[in-house]
Amino acid sequence: MTLLSLQDLRVTIATPEGPATLLDGVSFDLAAGEQLGIVGESGCGKSMTALAVMGLLPAAARAEGHVIFEGKNLLALDEDALCQIRGRRIAMVFQEPMTALNPVKTIGDQVAEGLRWHMGLGRGEAETRAVKLLDRVGLPQPRFAPGLYPHQLSGGQRQRVVIAIALACDPAVLIADEPTTALDVTSQAEILDLLADVTAEARMALMLITHDLAVVWQNTASMLVMYAGCVVERGTTAAVFERMAHPYTRGLLAASPHALDRALPAGRRLATIPGRVPDPQHRPQGCVFAGRCSRAAPDCLPGPPAERALEDGHRVACLHPHGAELPA
Amino acid sequence: MSSETQTSALREYWQRGRGQANLMIGLAVTLTLVAVALVSLVWTPYTVSAIDIPGKLQPPSADHWLGTDQFGRDVLSRIMAGAVNSIAVSLVAVGIGAGIGVPLGALAAARRGLVEEVVMRFNDFTFAFPALLSAVMITALFGPGAINAIIAIGIFNIPVFARLTRAAALSLWKRDFVLAARVAGRGRTRITIDHILPNIASLLIVQMTIQFALAILAEAGLSYLGLGTQPPNPSWGKMLNEAQTLMFIAPQLAVFPGLAIMVTVLGLNLLGDGLRDLLDPRLRRLR
Repeated sequence: MTLLSLQDLRVTIATPEGPATLLDGVSFDLAAGEQLGIVGESGCGKSMTALAVMGLLPAAARAEGHVIFEGKNLLALDEDALCQIRGRRIAMVFQEPMTALNPVKTIGDQVAEGLRWHMGLGRGEAETRAVKLLDRVGLPQPRFAPGLYPHQLSGGQRQRVVIAIALACDPAVLIADEPTTALDVTSQAEILDLLADVTAEARMALMLITHDLAVVWQNTASMLVMYAGCVVERGTTAAVFERMAHPYTRGLLAASPHALDRALPAGRRLATIPGRVPDPQHRPQGCVFAGRCSRAAPDCLPGPPAERALEDGHRVACLHPHGAELPA
Repeated sequence: MSSETQTSALREYWQRGRGQANLMIGLAVTLTLVAVALVSLVWTPYTVSAIDIPGKLQPPSADHWLGTDQFGRDVLSRIMAGAVNSIAVSLVAVGIGAGIGVPLGALAAARRGLVEEVVMRFNDFTFAFPALLSAVMITALFGPGAINAIIAIGIFNIPVFARLTRAAALSLWKRDFVLAARVAGRGRTRITIDHILPNIASLLIVQMTIQFALAILAEAGLSYLGLGTQPPNPSWGKMLNEAQTLMFIAPQLAVFPGLAIMVTVLGLNLLGDGLRDLLDPRLRRLR
């Protein structure tokens, strides 16, 4: 059952030099309990997609298209109605746990806040639940008393608090925007395992935004590859990794130091993708990746490539995908 | 939080605060001032306005600890009663300033756009007049008197607090935890109350103690010009004014109220400094 459906989401932002397109026709469905990875390099529109779903785009940005959640178009709802959904039905975990917590409020208060606000719990009851939530995310009593302040915790512990806040009202969708980027490697694995556990336990849909292919591989069932505000490849994580049809996806993997278990021979440099992401004010008419693509041909330039279906629901927006020349 | 954890939090504040010299001195001075003012309501060594012409302009003595003024009134009694006046002026004036200025500044930061422009241009307009001159204008318009002086001082505290609140709140609105609060479904008003104000509370408390001190000085200034507290009611500024003409005959008449103002202002500033250090949880040591 589809829980959240983005249909042709287009976000433009007004700049002094004219409108810039940040998202260009992003569509995808998220089912209850599904674990979806969104991967792409910085500035490709991953976080913008999350903010658009939340209705928290910058004031100068305009969103078109549809974000259908539980039968309602979130883009058409007013602020009061959105406040009832944010945190209650759709929750979010941020990249930077150091700044995502209020420095002058105790962690217990911050976890209890959503419970009191959305669930109407009383002070004592909310605090009891908050302690249980802290325990659930691996911050057991009495070491992690609810009276502690964020600065008394490490980065990984703070991210656990942020997760506890997100879980507090038992949302249907959890958006994790680069949840482990600011953490050290050992905490990263623990936090990802925790996210996988808690979402599976409550059949919560997880939207995991990351630039790290290894994170997507280990934690998601399906994935999207985004580039310059467009979805360029999608499918089950296994199928996408098996085929890697879009040249950009291959480039991302080649540029990743620890994707899968292909150890890098000593002294060899990591591959890079030449060029840079196109300027959102001057987007090319044709394929957005054509300027950096080694497989680009003249037919890539006139118009954007339509998505074409490969096997197993795997789709790619490319005229000359890898593997096309081989028999499927 | 239960009441038990609240008491333990208070105890923790006390234990940390005890070690801070400036906080303790400031607190002692302020509490002494409040105590003196309270005592003066029920008892002063002499009746505050009792005139004793034969005993005028006495130097400090065992009978009159701080001497007597040109009408033979006991200076100690008048300074004690003047403390009530100073506290009332500063409390109400800062109350008006913070009570109106903080919500205005927070509103400007939360709504931005036209609301912000209107609020801040109104502030600039108020700020464009020298505060004392405007206070003179207001008292000229509504007549001299303690109440009008308080209102005039209070009005010119509004932009101070509005600006401070807006500037501090603007930088907080850009922080991730505010975005996190919005993601958690909180509206602008709730975020302002739950997240913005607690984060700028220490800043506001410091500014309040500074404005307390400035309000006492402003009241003294207005009374000195004859626009504040009216005779025979005592006020520190009024006492300074009256002492001016007698500087060469009885200098102690200017020294004691001046000293009272100085010690009070110093005490309030120390208190503000200490409170800021105490209230910021980031400065709290790990247990």
